[in-house]
Amino acid sequence: MAEKNNLVMICIAILGVVTVAFGLADILVSAGGDGTELSILEIPGDMFRGGWGGFIVLFAGLFYLSGCKNVAEVHNASKVAMGSVLIWIMAGTDIFAMITESIPGGEDGPWFNSLSGFLGTYAPPYAPAMFLLPFSLVVVYYILKQERTR
Amino acid sequence: MKLGPDERWDLIDSIASQVVTYGKYRHTLKDAIGELTVKPMTGIPIAIAVLYGFWSVFGSFAGTLCTDGFFVKLFDGYWLPWLQGVFPGEGGWLYSILIDAGGMTNGEFILSDNCFEAFGVLTSGLFVAIGVVLPAIVIFYLMLTLLEDIGYMPRLAVLIDTVLHRIGLHGYAIVPTILSLGCNVPAVTATRILETRKQRFIMMTLLAIFIPCGAQLGIMEEVIPELIGYALLYLVIGYFIFGFILNRIVPGKSPEILIDVPSYQKPMIANVRRKLWMRVSSFFKVAVPFVLLGCVVVNVLYLVGFIQWLGDILAPVFVGWFGVPKETAGPLVAAFLRKDLAVAQLSVIEMTQYQMLSAVVLVSIYFPCVATFAMMLKEGWKELIGSVAVLAVVVFLYGGIIHLIGKLIGVA
Repeated sequence: MAEKNNLVMICIAILGVVTVAFGLADILVSAGGDGTELSILEIPGDMFRGGWGGFIVLFAGLFYLSGCKNVAEVHNASKVAMGSVLIWIMAGTDIFAMITESIPGGEDGPWFNSLSGFLGTYAPPYAPAMFLLPFSLVVVYYILKQERTR
Repeated sequence: MKLGPDERWDLIDSIASQVVTYGKYRHTLKDAIGELTVKPMTGIPIAIAVLYGFWSVFGSFAGTLCTDGFFVKLFDGYWLPWLQGVFPGEGGWLYSILIDAGGMTNGEFILSDNCFEAFGVLTSGLFVAIGVVLPAIVIFYLMLTLLEDIGYMPRLAVLIDTVLHRIGLHGYAIVPTILSLGCNVPAVTATRILETRKQRFIMMTLLAIFIPCGAQLGIMEEVIPELIGYALLYLVIGYFIFGFILNRIVPGKSPEILIDVPSYQKPMIANVRRKLWMRVSSFFKVAVPFVLLGCVVVNVLYLVGFIQWLGDILAPVFVGWFGVPKETAGPLVAAFLRKDLAVAQLSVIEMTQYQMLSAVVLVSIYFPCVATFAMMLKEGWKELIGSVAVLAVVVFLYGGIIHLIGKLIGVA
Protein backbone atom coordinates (compact mmCIF):
# COMPACT_ATOMS: atom_id res chain seq x y z
CA MET A 1 0.00 0.00 0.00
CA ALA A 2 2.80 2.40 1.01
CA GLU A 3 4.66 1.52 -2.19
CA LYS A 4 1.58 2.25 -4.24
CA ASN A 5 1.16 5.61 -2.50
CA ASN A 6 4.77 6.48 -3.20
CA LEU A 7 4.32 5.62 -6.85
CA VAL A 8 1.21 7.82 -7.06
CA MET A 9 3.06 10.62 -5.30
CA ILE A 10 5.96 10.40 -7.76
CA CYS A 11 3.63 10.37 -10.78
CA ILE A 12 1.67 13.41 -9.58
CA ALA A 13 4.88 15.22 -8.63
CA ILE A 14 6.28 14.63 -12.13
CA LEU A 15 3.02 15.86 -13.63
CA GLY A 16 3.22 18.90 -11.34
CA VAL A 17 6.78 19.72 -12.38
CA VAL A 18 5.95 19.37 -16.08
CA THR A 19 2.84 21.53 -15.62
CA VAL A 20 4.79 24.23 -13.80
CA ALA A 21 7.40 24.14 -16.58
CA PHE A 22 4.69 24.53 -19.23
CA GLY A 23 3.12 27.40 -17.27
CA LEU A 24 6.42 29.22 -16.97
CA ALA A 25 7.14 28.62 -20.66
CA ASP A 26 3.73 30.11 -21.54
CA ILE A 27 4.39 33.20 -19.44
CA LEU A 28 7.94 33.74 -20.66
CA VAL A 29 7.09 33.22 -24.33
CA SER A 30 4.09 35.55 -24.17
CA ALA A 31 6.23 38.15 -22.36
CA GLY A 32 8.55 37.98 -25.39
CA GLY A 33 5.58 38.78 -27.64
CA ASP A 34 5.88 36.00 -30.25
CA GLY A 35 4.46 32.49 -30.01
CA THR A 36 6.66 29.42 -30.54
CA GLU A 37 6.04 26.09 -32.26
CA LEU A 38 8.04 23.00 -31.36
CA SER A 39 6.81 20.16 -33.56
CA ILE A 40 3.29 19.44 -32.29
CA LEU A 41 3.60 21.78 -29.31
CA GLU A 42 2.54 25.40 -29.66
CA ILE A 43 3.21 27.99 -27.01
CA PRO A 44 0.91 30.95 -27.66
CA GLY A 45 2.43 34.41 -27.66
CA ASP A 46 -0.63 36.53 -26.91
CA MET A 47 -1.24 37.94 -23.46
CA PHE A 48 -4.63 36.25 -23.13
CA ARG A 49 -3.79 32.60 -23.82
CA GLY A 50 -0.08 32.81 -23.13
CA GLY A 51 0.00 35.28 -20.26
CA TRP A 52 -3.28 34.82 -18.42
CA GLY A 53 -3.53 31.17 -19.49
CA GLY A 54 0.11 30.59 -18.52
CA PHE A 55 -0.60 31.70 -14.96
CA ILE A 56 -3.47 29.21 -14.78
CA VAL A 57 -1.26 26.33 -16.02
CA LEU A 58 1.41 27.41 -13.54
CA PHE A 59 -1.10 27.37 -10.66
CA ALA A 60 -2.38 23.98 -11.81
CA GLY A 61 1.18 22.67 -11.46
CA LEU A 62 1.52 24.23 -8.01
CA PHE A 63 -1.76 22.61 -6.95
CA TYR A 64 -0.41 19.22 -8.08
CA LEU A 65 2.86 19.73 -6.22
CA SER A 66 1.22 20.95 -3.02
CA GLY A 67 -1.19 17.99 -2.93
CA CYS A 68 1.02 15.16 -4.17
CA LYS A 69 2.62 14.21 -0.84
CA ASN A 70 -0.28 12.26 0.61
CA VAL A 71 -3.07 11.96 -1.94
CA ALA A 72 -4.96 9.55 0.29
CA GLU A 73 -5.74 12.50 2.57
CA VAL A 74 -8.86 14.36 1.41
CA HIS A 75 -7.42 17.91 1.52
CA ASN A 76 -4.43 16.92 -0.59
CA ALA A 77 -6.69 15.00 -2.95
CA SER A 78 -8.84 18.12 -3.38
CA LYS A 79 -5.76 20.19 -4.30
CA VAL A 80 -4.74 17.65 -6.92
CA ALA A 81 -8.32 17.50 -8.24
CA MET A 82 -8.38 21.29 -8.44
CA GLY A 83 -5.12 21.26 -10.39
CA SER A 84 -6.86 19.01 -12.89
CA VAL A 85 -9.89 21.30 -13.02
CA LEU A 86 -7.63 24.21 -13.96
CA ILE A 87 -6.10 22.10 -16.75
CA TRP A 88 -9.63 21.25 -17.96
CA ILE A 89 -10.57 24.91 -18.07
CA MET A 90 -7.52 25.65 -20.22
CA ALA A 91 -7.81 22.62 -22.50
CA GLY A 92 -11.61 22.83 -22.60
CA THR A 93 -11.58 26.43 -23.79
CA ASP A 94 -8.92 25.54 -26.39
CA ILE A 95 -11.07 22.69 -27.69
CA PHE A 96 -14.17 24.91 -27.67
CA ALA A 97 -12.24 27.57 -29.63
CA MET A 98 -11.26 24.91 -32.21
CA ILE A 99 -14.88 23.78 -32.54
CA THR A 100 -16.14 27.34 -33.07
CA GLU A 101 -13.40 27.96 -35.66
CA SER A 102 -14.02 24.71 -37.50
CA ILE A 103 -17.72 25.21 -38.29
CA PRO A 104 -17.98 28.46 -40.34
CA GLY A 105 -16.61 28.54 -43.88
CA GLY A 106 -14.48 31.66 -43.50
CA GLU A 107 -14.96 35.25 -44.64
CA ASP A 108 -15.03 34.61 -48.41
CA GLY A 109 -15.90 30.91 -48.39
CA PRO A 110 -19.22 29.08 -48.20
CA TRP A 111 -21.46 29.21 -45.12
CA PHE A 112 -20.02 26.03 -43.63
CA ASN A 113 -16.46 24.71 -43.67
CA SER A 114 -15.45 21.88 -46.02
CA LEU A 115 -14.75 18.47 -44.45
CA SER A 116 -11.00 18.87 -44.94
CA GLY A 117 -11.09 22.40 -43.53
CA PHE A 118 -13.16 21.17 -40.60
CA LEU A 119 -10.76 18.34 -39.79
CA GLY A 120 -7.73 20.56 -40.46
CA THR A 121 -8.72 22.84 -37.59
CA TYR A 122 -8.17 20.00 -35.16
CA ALA A 123 -4.69 19.18 -36.44
CA PRO A 124 -1.63 19.94 -34.28
CA PRO A 125 0.16 21.98 -33.01
CA TYR A 126 -1.61 22.12 -29.65
CA ALA A 127 -1.17 24.30 -26.59
CA PRO A 128 0.52 22.69 -23.51
CA ALA A 129 -2.78 22.22 -21.64
CA MET A 130 -3.98 19.85 -24.38
CA PHE A 131 -1.04 17.52 -23.69
CA LEU A 132 -1.68 17.67 -19.95
CA LEU A 133 -5.40 16.89 -20.36
CA PRO A 134 -5.18 13.05 -20.56
CA PHE A 135 -2.91 12.90 -17.51
CA SER A 136 -5.23 15.18 -15.54
CA LEU A 137 -8.12 12.86 -16.38
CA VAL A 138 -6.21 9.85 -15.08
CA VAL A 139 -5.36 11.71 -11.88
CA VAL A 140 -9.00 12.64 -11.26
CA TYR A 141 -10.14 9.09 -12.05
CA TYR A 142 -7.73 7.83 -9.39
CA ILE A 143 -8.89 10.40 -6.83
CA LEU A 144 -12.58 9.68 -7.42
CA LYS A 145 -11.93 5.95 -7.14
CA GLN A 146 -10.13 6.57 -3.88
CA GLU A 147 -12.99 8.76 -2.62
CA ARG A 148 -15.51 6.00 -3.33
CA THR A 149 -13.49 3.45 -1.38
CA ARG A 150 -12.81 5.83 1.51
CA MET B 1 -55.96 19.36 24.62
CA LYS B 2 -53.33 21.13 26.71
CA LEU B 3 -49.82 19.66 27.02
CA GLY B 4 -47.50 20.19 29.91
CA PRO B 5 -43.78 21.05 29.41
CA ASP B 6 -42.63 17.41 29.65
CA GLU B 7 -45.28 16.21 27.23
CA ARG B 8 -44.33 18.94 24.80
CA TRP B 9 -40.67 17.88 24.92
CA ASP B 10 -41.74 14.28 24.37
CA LEU B 11 -43.74 15.34 21.35
CA ILE B 12 -40.76 17.29 20.00
CA ASP B 13 -38.49 14.25 20.48
CA SER B 14 -40.98 11.99 18.75
CA ILE B 15 -41.30 14.34 15.72
CA ALA B 16 -37.53 14.88 15.58
CA SER B 17 -36.84 11.15 15.64
CA GLN B 18 -39.11 10.77 12.58
CA VAL B 19 -37.68 13.61 10.51
CA VAL B 20 -34.02 13.97 11.56
CA THR B 21 -31.36 11.46 10.58
CA TYR B 22 -28.27 11.33 12.78
CA GLY B 23 -24.98 10.15 11.42
CA LYS B 24 -21.27 10.70 11.59
CA TYR B 25 -20.06 13.70 9.57
CA ARG B 26 -17.42 12.80 7.04
CA HIS B 27 -15.36 15.43 5.30
CA THR B 28 -15.81 14.59 1.62
CA LEU B 29 -13.79 15.53 -1.44
CA LYS B 30 -16.61 17.90 -2.46
CA ASP B 31 -16.36 19.69 0.91
CA ALA B 32 -12.59 20.00 0.61
CA ILE B 33 -12.86 21.39 -2.94
CA GLY B 34 -15.51 23.82 -1.69
CA GLU B 35 -13.08 25.06 0.97
CA LEU B 36 -10.31 25.53 -1.59
CA THR B 37 -12.51 27.93 -3.59
CA VAL B 38 -13.07 30.29 -0.62
CA LYS B 39 -9.55 30.41 0.81
CA PRO B 40 -7.66 33.35 -0.76
CA MET B 41 -4.42 31.45 -1.43
CA THR B 42 -6.17 28.82 -3.51
CA GLY B 43 -9.46 30.59 -4.30
CA ILE B 44 -7.90 33.52 -6.17
CA PRO B 45 -6.10 31.35 -8.78
CA ILE B 46 -9.32 29.38 -9.22
CA ALA B 47 -11.32 32.61 -9.66
CA ILE B 48 -8.74 33.78 -12.23
CA ALA B 49 -9.17 30.47 -14.08
CA VAL B 50 -12.97 30.69 -13.97
CA LEU B 51 -12.86 34.22 -15.37
CA TYR B 52 -10.47 33.04 -18.10
CA GLY B 53 -12.88 30.25 -19.02
CA PHE B 54 -15.81 32.65 -18.93
CA TRP B 55 -14.11 35.16 -21.22
CA SER B 56 -12.66 32.57 -23.58
CA VAL B 57 -16.00 30.82 -24.14
CA PHE B 58 -17.68 34.23 -24.53
CA GLY B 59 -15.20 35.28 -27.25
CA SER B 60 -15.22 31.95 -29.09
CA PHE B 61 -18.99 31.58 -29.17
CA ALA B 62 -20.16 35.16 -29.64
CA GLY B 63 -17.23 36.48 -31.69
CA THR B 64 -15.72 33.61 -33.68
CA LEU B 65 -18.72 31.39 -34.23
CA CYS B 66 -21.83 33.57 -34.33
CA THR B 67 -20.86 37.11 -35.31
CA ASP B 68 -17.75 36.56 -37.47
CA GLY B 69 -18.74 33.09 -38.61
CA PHE B 70 -22.28 33.73 -39.78
CA PHE B 71 -23.90 37.07 -38.96
CA VAL B 72 -21.27 39.34 -40.58
CA LYS B 73 -21.61 37.32 -43.77
CA LEU B 74 -25.39 37.35 -43.61
CA PHE B 75 -25.75 41.07 -42.90
CA ASP B 76 -22.85 42.47 -44.97
CA GLY B 77 -23.06 40.02 -47.86
CA TYR B 78 -26.81 39.67 -48.33
CA TRP B 79 -29.02 41.84 -46.12
CA LEU B 80 -27.24 45.20 -46.60
CA PRO B 81 -26.76 44.98 -50.42
CA TRP B 82 -30.34 43.74 -50.85
CA LEU B 83 -31.81 46.61 -48.84
CA GLN B 84 -29.50 49.13 -50.54
CA GLY B 85 -30.83 47.89 -53.89
CA VAL B 86 -34.55 47.66 -53.22
CA PHE B 87 -35.11 50.68 -50.98
CA PRO B 88 -35.91 53.78 -53.03
CA GLY B 89 -34.52 57.30 -52.56
CA GLU B 90 -30.78 56.63 -52.23
CA GLY B 91 -29.12 59.57 -50.47
CA GLY B 92 -32.42 60.93 -49.15
CA TRP B 93 -33.10 61.50 -45.46
CA LEU B 94 -35.39 58.50 -45.04
CA TYR B 95 -32.86 56.28 -46.82
CA SER B 96 -30.11 57.59 -44.53
CA ILE B 97 -32.12 56.90 -41.40
CA LEU B 98 -33.45 53.47 -42.34
CA ILE B 99 -30.82 51.95 -44.64
CA ASP B 100 -27.49 53.67 -45.09
CA ALA B 101 -26.20 57.05 -43.93
CA GLY B 102 -23.29 56.46 -46.38
CA GLY B 103 -20.71 59.12 -47.06
CA MET B 104 -20.02 61.92 -49.54
CA THR B 105 -16.93 61.80 -51.78
CA ASN B 106 -16.50 64.61 -54.33
CA GLY B 107 -20.18 65.47 -53.96
CA GLU B 108 -21.21 61.91 -54.73
CA PHE B 109 -23.15 59.69 -52.30
CA ILE B 110 -21.15 56.54 -51.55
CA LEU B 111 -22.90 53.48 -50.12
CA SER B 112 -21.38 51.71 -47.11
CA ASP B 113 -20.04 48.20 -47.61
CA ASN B 114 -20.68 46.90 -44.11
CA CYS B 115 -23.28 47.18 -41.40
CA PHE B 116 -20.95 48.86 -38.92
CA GLU B 117 -20.67 51.87 -41.23
CA ALA B 118 -24.16 52.00 -42.73
CA PHE B 119 -25.82 53.12 -39.50
CA GLY B 120 -29.37 52.60 -40.73
CA VAL B 121 -32.09 51.33 -38.43
CA LEU B 122 -32.76 48.26 -40.58
CA THR B 123 -29.09 47.55 -41.26
CA SER B 124 -26.78 48.54 -38.37
CA GLY B 125 -29.64 48.54 -35.88
CA LEU B 126 -30.67 44.96 -36.65
CA PHE B 127 -27.08 43.80 -37.09
CA VAL B 128 -26.07 45.11 -33.67
CA ALA B 129 -29.19 43.77 -31.96
CA ILE B 130 -29.27 40.33 -33.56
CA GLY B 131 -25.83 39.72 -35.02
CA VAL B 132 -23.70 41.00 -32.16
CA VAL B 133 -25.71 41.49 -28.98
CA LEU B 134 -27.91 38.37 -29.10
CA PRO B 135 -25.08 35.79 -29.14
CA ALA B 136 -23.09 37.80 -26.59
CA ILE B 137 -26.00 38.01 -24.19
CA VAL B 138 -27.06 34.37 -24.62
CA ILE B 139 -23.61 32.97 -23.86
CA PHE B 140 -22.98 35.46 -21.05
CA TYR B 141 -26.19 34.65 -19.20
CA LEU B 142 -25.80 30.91 -19.86
CA MET B 143 -22.40 30.87 -18.17
CA LEU B 144 -23.55 33.12 -15.35
CA THR B 145 -26.53 30.85 -14.71
CA LEU B 146 -24.28 27.78 -14.68
CA LEU B 147 -21.92 29.38 -12.17
CA GLU B 148 -24.87 30.34 -9.96
CA ASP B 149 -26.50 26.93 -10.11
CA ILE B 150 -23.27 25.02 -9.54
CA GLY B 151 -22.81 27.08 -6.38
CA TYR B 152 -19.71 29.02 -7.32
CA MET B 153 -21.16 32.54 -6.99
CA PRO B 154 -21.57 32.53 -3.17
CA ARG B 155 -17.98 31.34 -2.90
CA LEU B 156 -16.83 34.15 -5.15
CA ALA B 157 -18.77 36.54 -2.87
CA VAL B 158 -16.90 35.21 0.18
CA LEU B 159 -13.58 35.35 -1.63
CA ILE B 160 -13.96 38.93 -2.80
CA ASP B 161 -15.60 40.22 0.39
CA THR B 162 -12.38 41.66 1.88
CA VAL B 163 -11.49 43.50 -1.32
CA LEU B 164 -14.98 44.94 -1.75
CA HIS B 165 -15.01 46.15 1.88
CA ARG B 166 -12.21 48.52 0.88
CA ILE B 167 -14.64 50.29 -1.41
CA GLY B 168 -17.52 50.29 1.07
CA LEU B 169 -19.28 47.22 -0.34
CA HIS B 170 -19.32 43.57 0.64
CA GLY B 171 -19.10 40.19 -1.08
CA TYR B 172 -22.68 40.20 -2.36
CA ALA B 173 -21.83 43.28 -4.45
CA ILE B 174 -20.31 40.77 -6.86
CA VAL B 175 -23.88 39.88 -7.93
CA PRO B 176 -24.83 43.32 -9.38
CA THR B 177 -21.25 43.71 -10.64
CA ILE B 178 -21.34 40.52 -12.69
CA LEU B 179 -24.99 40.99 -13.70
CA SER B 180 -23.98 44.40 -14.97
CA LEU B 181 -21.54 42.79 -17.39
CA GLY B 182 -24.68 41.40 -19.02
CA CYS B 183 -26.92 44.45 -18.73
CA ASN B 184 -26.81 47.41 -16.34
CA VAL B 185 -30.60 47.54 -16.06
CA PRO B 186 -31.21 44.40 -13.96
CA ALA B 187 -27.95 45.14 -12.13
CA VAL B 188 -29.37 48.43 -10.84
CA THR B 189 -32.31 46.48 -9.41
CA ALA B 190 -29.89 43.92 -7.96
CA THR B 191 -28.22 46.67 -5.88
CA ARG B 192 -31.18 46.19 -3.49
CA ILE B 193 -29.28 43.14 -2.24
CA LEU B 194 -27.03 45.63 -0.39
CA GLU B 195 -28.25 46.82 3.01
CA THR B 196 -27.51 50.52 3.31
CA ARG B 197 -28.17 53.56 1.11
CA LYS B 198 -24.46 54.28 1.05
CA GLN B 199 -23.68 50.83 -0.37
CA ARG B 200 -26.46 51.04 -2.94
CA PHE B 201 -25.33 54.50 -4.06
CA ILE B 202 -21.69 53.42 -4.43
CA MET B 203 -22.66 50.26 -6.29
CA MET B 204 -25.08 52.02 -8.63
CA THR B 205 -22.57 54.74 -9.43
CA LEU B 206 -19.71 52.32 -10.03
CA LEU B 207 -21.69 50.00 -12.27
CA ALA B 208 -23.14 52.88 -14.27
CA ILE B 209 -19.66 54.28 -14.87
CA PHE B 210 -17.15 51.46 -14.95
CA ILE B 211 -18.90 48.28 -15.99
CA PRO B 212 -19.48 47.74 -19.71
CA CYS B 213 -22.63 45.78 -20.54
CA GLY B 214 -22.65 42.56 -22.59
CA ALA B 215 -23.73 44.40 -25.72
CA GLN B 216 -20.84 46.79 -25.39
CA LEU B 217 -18.43 43.95 -24.69
CA GLY B 218 -19.69 42.12 -27.77
CA ILE B 219 -19.03 45.15 -29.96
CA MET B 220 -15.66 45.80 -28.32
CA GLU B 221 -14.69 42.18 -28.99
CA GLU B 222 -15.70 42.73 -32.61
CA VAL B 223 -14.12 46.10 -33.38
CA ILE B 224 -11.13 46.40 -31.03
CA PRO B 225 -10.20 42.81 -30.10
CA GLU B 226 -6.54 43.70 -29.56
CA LEU B 227 -7.35 46.61 -27.23
CA ILE B 228 -10.20 45.17 -25.20
CA GLY B 229 -7.92 43.86 -22.44
CA TYR B 230 -6.39 47.28 -21.89
CA ALA B 231 -9.80 48.98 -21.97
CA LEU B 232 -11.09 46.57 -19.31
CA LEU B 233 -7.95 47.08 -17.25
CA TYR B 234 -8.55 50.84 -17.21
CA LEU B 235 -12.16 50.23 -16.16
CA VAL B 236 -11.24 47.79 -13.37
CA ILE B 237 -8.61 50.18 -12.00
CA GLY B 238 -11.12 53.05 -12.14
CA TYR B 239 -13.76 50.90 -10.41
CA PHE B 240 -11.51 50.37 -7.40
CA ILE B 241 -9.91 53.84 -7.25
CA PHE B 242 -13.20 55.72 -7.42
CA GLY B 243 -14.91 53.14 -5.21
CA PHE B 244 -12.25 53.76 -2.57
CA ILE B 245 -12.75 57.54 -2.86
CA LEU B 246 -16.55 57.25 -2.73
CA ASN B 247 -16.30 55.06 0.37
CA ARG B 248 -14.33 57.85 2.05
CA ILE B 249 -16.61 60.74 1.11
CA VAL B 250 -20.11 59.22 1.10
CA PRO B 251 -21.61 59.19 4.61
CA GLY B 252 -23.27 56.03 5.92
CA LYS B 253 -22.49 52.50 7.05
CA SER B 254 -21.02 49.47 5.31
CA PRO B 255 -22.08 46.47 7.40
CA GLU B 256 -20.57 42.97 7.37
CA ILE B 257 -22.40 40.02 5.83
CA LEU B 258 -23.06 36.46 6.83
CA ILE B 259 -23.29 34.19 3.78
CA ASP B 260 -24.66 30.67 3.76
CA VAL B 261 -22.45 28.85 1.25
CA PRO B 262 -24.26 25.89 -0.28
CA SER B 263 -22.42 22.77 -1.37
CA TYR B 264 -21.52 22.33 -5.02
CA GLN B 265 -24.26 20.69 -7.03
CA LYS B 266 -25.12 19.63 -10.55
CA PRO B 267 -27.22 22.31 -12.28
CA MET B 268 -30.73 21.31 -13.33
CA ILE B 269 -31.29 21.83 -17.07
CA ALA B 270 -34.88 23.00 -16.61
CA ASN B 271 -33.79 25.70 -14.14
CA VAL B 272 -30.92 26.83 -16.37
CA ARG B 273 -33.27 27.04 -19.36
CA ARG B 274 -35.89 29.02 -17.42
CA LYS B 275 -33.38 31.49 -15.99
CA LEU B 276 -31.67 31.94 -19.34
CA TRP B 277 -34.95 32.60 -21.13
CA MET B 278 -36.12 35.04 -18.45
CA ARG B 279 -32.89 37.04 -18.59
CA VAL B 280 -32.40 37.07 -22.35
CA SER B 281 -36.03 37.95 -23.09
CA SER B 282 -36.15 40.76 -20.53
CA PHE B 283 -32.86 42.11 -21.87
CA PHE B 284 -34.23 42.12 -25.39
CA LYS B 285 -37.45 43.85 -24.40
CA VAL B 286 -35.32 46.70 -23.07
CA ALA B 287 -32.37 46.67 -25.47
CA VAL B 288 -33.78 46.17 -28.97
CA PRO B 289 -36.14 49.19 -28.93
CA PHE B 290 -33.28 51.36 -27.65
CA VAL B 291 -30.86 50.10 -30.31
CA LEU B 292 -33.35 50.91 -33.08
CA LEU B 293 -34.40 54.20 -31.49
CA GLY B 294 -30.73 55.04 -30.99
CA CYS B 295 -30.05 54.63 -34.71
CA VAL B 296 -32.97 56.92 -35.58
CA VAL B 297 -32.05 59.66 -33.10
CA VAL B 298 -28.35 59.64 -33.92
CA ASN B 299 -29.03 59.72 -37.66
CA VAL B 300 -31.46 62.61 -37.23
CA LEU B 301 -28.92 64.48 -35.09
CA TYR B 302 -26.30 63.95 -37.81
CA LEU B 303 -28.68 65.04 -40.55
CA VAL B 304 -29.65 68.28 -38.80
CA GLY B 305 -25.98 69.05 -38.10
CA PHE B 306 -26.28 68.87 -34.31
CA ILE B 307 -23.42 66.41 -33.91
CA GLN B 308 -21.14 68.52 -36.08
CA TRP B 309 -22.06 71.59 -34.01
CA LEU B 310 -21.50 69.76 -30.74
CA GLY B 311 -18.18 68.39 -31.96
CA ASP B 312 -17.03 71.93 -32.83
CA ILE B 313 -18.05 73.28 -29.43
CA LEU B 314 -16.48 70.44 -27.47
CA ALA B 315 -13.39 70.20 -29.67
CA PRO B 316 -11.03 71.90 -27.17
CA VAL B 317 -12.05 69.45 -24.43
CA PHE B 318 -11.95 66.39 -26.68
CA VAL B 319 -8.71 67.20 -28.45
CA GLY B 320 -6.86 69.06 -25.70
CA TRP B 321 -7.96 67.31 -22.51
CA PHE B 322 -9.01 63.80 -23.58
CA GLY B 323 -6.65 63.56 -26.57
CA VAL B 324 -9.25 62.13 -28.96
CA PRO B 325 -10.50 63.52 -32.31
CA LYS B 326 -13.46 65.91 -32.14
CA GLU B 327 -15.48 63.47 -34.30
CA THR B 328 -15.88 61.31 -31.17
CA ALA B 329 -18.50 63.81 -29.95
CA GLY B 330 -21.08 61.97 -32.10
CA PRO B 331 -20.50 58.54 -30.56
CA LEU B 332 -20.57 60.10 -27.11
CA VAL B 333 -24.04 61.49 -27.80
CA ALA B 334 -25.08 58.11 -29.21
CA ALA B 335 -23.70 56.44 -26.08
CA PHE B 336 -26.53 57.91 -24.06
CA LEU B 337 -28.95 55.86 -26.16
CA ARG B 338 -26.84 52.75 -26.72
CA LYS B 339 -23.19 52.35 -25.77
CA ASP B 340 -22.73 49.41 -28.13
CA LEU B 341 -23.78 51.58 -31.07
CA ALA B 342 -21.36 54.25 -29.92
CA VAL B 343 -18.42 51.84 -29.93
CA ALA B 344 -19.46 50.70 -33.42
CA GLN B 345 -19.44 54.35 -34.51
CA LEU B 346 -15.98 54.88 -33.04
CA SER B 347 -14.61 52.02 -35.13
CA VAL B 348 -15.05 54.02 -38.34
CA ILE B 349 -13.33 57.19 -37.10
CA GLU B 350 -9.67 57.52 -38.06
CA MET B 351 -7.48 57.62 -34.97
CA THR B 352 -4.41 56.06 -33.40
CA GLN B 353 -4.67 52.89 -31.32
CA TYR B 354 -4.27 54.77 -28.06
CA GLN B 355 -6.88 57.34 -29.11
CA MET B 356 -9.23 54.45 -29.88
CA LEU B 357 -8.53 52.95 -26.47
CA SER B 358 -9.16 56.31 -24.76
CA ALA B 359 -12.34 56.86 -26.76
CA VAL B 360 -13.71 53.39 -25.91
CA VAL B 361 -12.99 53.91 -22.21
CA LEU B 362 -14.62 57.36 -22.40
CA VAL B 363 -17.73 55.90 -24.01
CA SER B 364 -17.87 53.32 -21.23
CA ILE B 365 -17.55 55.79 -18.38
CA TYR B 366 -19.25 58.76 -19.97
CA PHE B 367 -22.89 58.16 -19.07
CA PRO B 368 -25.20 55.28 -18.29
CA CYS B 369 -27.37 54.40 -21.28
CA VAL B 370 -30.89 55.83 -21.16
CA ALA B 371 -32.42 52.52 -19.99
CA THR B 372 -30.05 52.38 -17.01
CA PHE B 373 -30.70 56.08 -16.41
CA ALA B 374 -34.45 55.38 -16.19
CA MET B 375 -33.84 52.47 -13.84
CA MET B 376 -31.66 54.58 -11.57
CA LEU B 377 -34.36 57.25 -11.49
CA LYS B 378 -36.78 54.56 -10.31
CA GLU B 379 -34.43 53.79 -7.42
CA GLY B 380 -34.47 57.43 -6.28
CA TRP B 381 -33.88 60.84 -7.87
CA LYS B 382 -31.40 61.90 -5.19
CA GLU B 383 -29.23 58.87 -5.94
CA LEU B 384 -29.48 59.59 -9.65
CA ILE B 385 -28.41 63.22 -9.28
CA GLY B 386 -25.57 62.15 -7.00
CA SER B 387 -24.42 59.50 -9.45
CA VAL B 388 -24.52 61.92 -12.37
CA ALA B 389 -22.49 64.48 -10.41
CA VAL B 390 -19.88 61.84 -9.55
CA LEU B 391 -19.91 60.69 -13.14
CA ALA B 392 -19.21 64.17 -14.52
CA VAL B 393 -16.19 64.52 -12.23
CA VAL B 394 -14.96 60.99 -12.99
CA VAL B 395 -15.22 61.42 -16.77
CA PHE B 396 -13.30 64.66 -16.68
CA LEU B 397 -10.61 63.44 -14.29
CA TYR B 398 -10.21 59.88 -15.55
CA GLY B 399 -10.35 60.93 -19.20
CA GLY B 400 -7.56 63.40 -18.53
CA ILE B 401 -5.54 60.86 -16.56
CA ILE B 402 -5.76 58.32 -19.40
CA HIS B 403 -4.52 60.97 -21.82
CA LEU B 404 -1.71 61.86 -19.40
CA ILE B 405 -0.67 58.21 -19.07
CA GLY B 406 -0.57 57.95 -22.87
CA LYS B 407 1.62 61.06 -23.03
CA LEU B 408 3.96 59.76 -20.33
CA ILE B 409 4.50 56.43 -22.08
CA GLY B 410 4.77 58.21 -25.42
CA VAL B 411 1.77 56.73 -27.24
CA ALA B 412 -0.70 59.64 -27.09
